[in-house]
Amino acid sequence: MTTTIKQDGNRYIACFSGRLDTAAAVQTAEDIKPLLQVERSEIILDCTDLEYISSSGLRIFLTIRKESTARGSRVIVRNINTDIRQVFVMTGFVSLFEIE
Amino acid sequence: MNIQDIQSQFIIEEYHQKLPIIERLKTIVLQLLESNLEQNHLEVTSINCRIKTEQSLSGKLTLKSGKYHTLYDITDILGARIITFYTDDVDRIAAMAEQLFNIDWQNSVDKRKLHQLDSFGYNSLHYICRLPKSLYFDPECEELNLIPFEIQLRTTLQHAWAAINHDNGYKSGVEIPREYMRRMNRLAGMLEMADDEFSRIRTEINDYRRRVQQLVKNGKIDEMMLDDETFRSYLDAKPLERLNRRIAAITQAEIQEVPLLRYIHILKVLGCNTIGDVNRLIKEYEEDAYLLARHQLGMTDLDIIASSLGLQNICIVYIIKQGGGKIGLERLFNALNGENDQNAALAELTFEQAKSLPFMQNQNF
Repeated sequence: MTTTIKQDGNRYIACFSGRLDTAAAVQTAEDIKPLLQVERSEIILDCTDLEYISSSGLRIFLTIRKESTARGSRVIVRNINTDIRQVFVMTGFVSLFEIE
Repeated sequence: MNIQDIQSQFIIEEYHQKLPIIERLKTIVLQLLESNLEQNHLEVTSINCRIKTEQSLSGKLTLKSGKYHTLYDITDILGARIITFYTDDVDRIAAMAEQLFNIDWQNSVDKRKLHQLDSFGYNSLHYICRLPKSLYFDPECEELNLIPFEIQLRTTLQHAWAAINHDNGYKSGVEIPREYMRRMNRLAGMLEMADDEFSRIRTEINDYRRRVQQLVKNGKIDEMMLDDETFRSYLDAKPLERLNRRIAAITQAEIQEVPLLRYIHILKVLGCNTIGDVNRLIKEYEEDAYLLARHQLGMTDLDIIASSLGLQNICIVYIIKQGGGKIGLERLFNALNGENDQNAALAELTFEQAKSLPFMQNQNF
């Protein structure tokens, strides 16, 4: 599981690749920390290469959303595959995130 | 005859002498308790008052020979027992008794607090009281204010346990083996949990009733058009809390609070014009919404859900049952997810999953 963060002006793109499960969550939580400091920006969580997400992964997304919204940023989840989209539906997380 | 026997004889004579006064005190105490319970809107299972019989008094004097010097050293010569429905009410009635009577704290005991962390058994609150002059005073009979009496407070379940335990323990005349005592005490632990749960249920029902009453007070829900304001007020009554908790219990999940205002548009599309319509929708479809969640989450370890899940599943179930099919679901997901090609696949998957659920058995596809 890898997480890379790119900055493009006032937009931050976090690219997740691999399986965001409980084992990967600790490192991913560290990797996304810079995003939690961002203010009044657009934050894209790019899931093009994300294969799987567990509850731990959902909690990381939730942390990003909470911190970012509090700092006036907007969070968009992008390119989730059908399995992950189903997880978002099954848990009701579709109502929490802006999904593109 | 030794000194203890003489003392006991003296107390028995005193008992016969004072019996009319004790009888009078019994009537006063019972009336005071009954009228104050009524004034405080405290419903109880039963309330009774008894005077110790001579036989019981003699037994006590023999058992605790030398302990008592006068009749009034015996603090339960007159006893009132109040059995409550709920454990909270024991404390409320105790507070009422504290206001009414002079409590002899040295001789009063809360058996509920005597247990060790890992022990269970007899639970009851015993107050030793005297009638204060401020409450009742007869210059012709000042003794009414001197006679101690006991008030026992316990719940119906605590009473049942105590009565059965007493019956088993004393009737046979043989020592009860440890194994049976342990089983009785296990039951006491179970009843304590049941008592707490009854109290919790009552509190939650009362909260719910108050919220709904407030809502109804603000305007009849069938006359409240569905909009941001009315929907927000309606959600304050937490109409989806029970469903969300049941869903969360499937995987022991935590519930993440989510604003539900985005559902107003969806609910309107589904034909809800008033808050009354929404209320009926929830009531009619919540069981099926739960079954859908159980089917979807039951085999996963997803232990976090959004508080929107209950309402989302109600919408899904409603669409399917109304014959909206995959297209209807796709529209719902478009509204929730934003338009996306994957929503069609998701709608198909959800529809297929729902087909095996009990509520779909009579549907034609």
